[in-house]
Amino acid sequence: MSRVLTIALNTFKETIRDRILGVIVLFALAMIVGSVWLGAISLGQAGRMMQDFGLVAVTLFGLVVAVFVGASLVRKEIDKRTVFVLFSKPLGRSEFIVGKFLGLCATLFVVTMGMGVFLFVAVWYVAKSPQPDLLLACLLIYVQLVVVVAVTVLFSTVTSPTLASVLGVCVFIAGQLSSNVLSLTRLGHSPFVKAASWVVFVVVPNLSAVDIKAAVVGEQVSRPATLGLWVGYLAAYCVVVLLLASFVFRRKEF
Amino acid sequence: MAVAIETARPHVESSSAPAALRLQGLCKVVKTGFWARRVEILRGVDLTVADGDVFGLLGPNGAGKTTTLKVVLGLMRATAGTVELTVPREQIGYLPENPYFYDYLTGEEFLRFSGRLFELPSQVRESRVRGLLGEVGLEEAAGVHLRKYSKGMLQRIGIAQALVNDPSLVLLDEPMTGLDPIGRVEVKSIIEGLRRRGRTVLFNSHILSDVAELCTRIAIMKAGVVVWEGSVESALAESGDLERFFVRQVNG
Repeated sequence: MSRVLTIALNTFKETIRDRILGVIVLFALAMIVGSVWLGAISLGQAGRMMQDFGLVAVTLFGLVVAVFVGASLVRKEIDKRTVFVLFSKPLGRSEFIVGKFLGLCATLFVVTMGMGVFLFVAVWYVAKSPQPDLLLACLLIYVQLVVVVAVTVLFSTVTSPTLASVLGVCVFIAGQLSSNVLSLTRLGHSPFVKAASWVVFVVVPNLSAVDIKAAVVGEQVSRPATLGLWVGYLAAYCVVVLLLASFVFRRKEF
Repeated sequence: MAVAIETARPHVESSSAPAALRLQGLCKVVKTGFWARRVEILRGVDLTVADGDVFGLLGPNGAGKTTTLKVVLGLMRATAGTVELTVPREQIGYLPENPYFYDYLTGEEFLRFSGRLFELPSQVRESRVRGLLGEVGLEEAAGVHLRKYSKGMLQRIGIAQALVNDPSLVLLDEPMTGLDPIGRVEVKSIIEGLRRRGRTVLFNSHILSDVAELCTRIAIMKAGVVVWEGSVESALAESGDLERFFVRQVNG
């Protein structure tokens, strides 16, 4: 376990010390601040506009970090040949994959929750009242992004960083629509469509299940009891994806 | 399509000391390109490195020296043949050819990171890091990011990371490459020190004068097989000069 943590800590340092990360975060903060202007032209809905806009910014910029950093994490080690040094030491391939994943998850936590706290303070200032649900929403955005990191790391073990990034974004988008696919299983009579819909629903992570953005801005009622279950489901999904990534990576030669 | 090259039975002078590493019939075939063309990189490598040897693995570019080391370390899987290691994985140190390390870490951080991968207790790790930084002459650059290191400094920090676990078997791939004369002297003195402490060293090099100076035994590889293995004295007795001997073995 200590070797996993060593790799995770090193990955955290690598990503946090990357200047690109700073640029992304600055962009996100600028977008949140910019949404104050949107609030000013929205006739008494300033707080709500800011929450809406801010959560989208947190999601988008978090996704950029998850996908683009996640896709190059493993590839960079192979291209720059640092894997030679790593795997000549008693470090298992799966320890490496899990360590890389945990390291990026730590960075992503700092990034998304940092943006979340900034948004929370900004909304409090504009709306004159705190909105603690915003922080929960950011935490759940983080949970979605963790799944995207796991999937992107898996893709990066079998394909190029560019393709892995594209596939990571696709999984994120598909994950938002996953519950719609499930509703297809209840419609129509074709057993083939029903079976295919079930397969898609099982393979694609149901990210929309932990999306409470609409509830935060008062468009829906949130269901806290089921949220915990869905977070558990996504954690299990990550474990399966990482097991697959480790299996693929174990067969690689350098 | 594999290229078949006829090779004569190699000259092998066996060592009486127990083996730290023994390779038998090691073959490696890789598939390259769109049509998955088979290329034989190793074609039956037999090699024995005795305990306490400083062993030079020589050969022209493309002979299979680096691949041999990678198979020993498990970075590549052998297509056929066996690798017998009498030392555990935790007791092996390795410096790759033209090493690249994490440039966002300082020299000291990188050595600590390497020590943690061996799960060394923190006190042992700290004293090794301090000692090795001194041994490779990087004490003053310990807090400098590796991106600011020269090629020679990277090579030296690479050697330090290979020794952080105090290994009994050290594999060095072209350890003198990119070093200025002073750097070469320092690396040679590190290898000398390892020999004095009874460590086994296997290294690849094209600099034959260094090999003659440091090694007790050598093996010459050509097109994926060992064509000559024996003591440096025997090679010198045969030709008087290691360079001439090497050229004769490779071209002969």
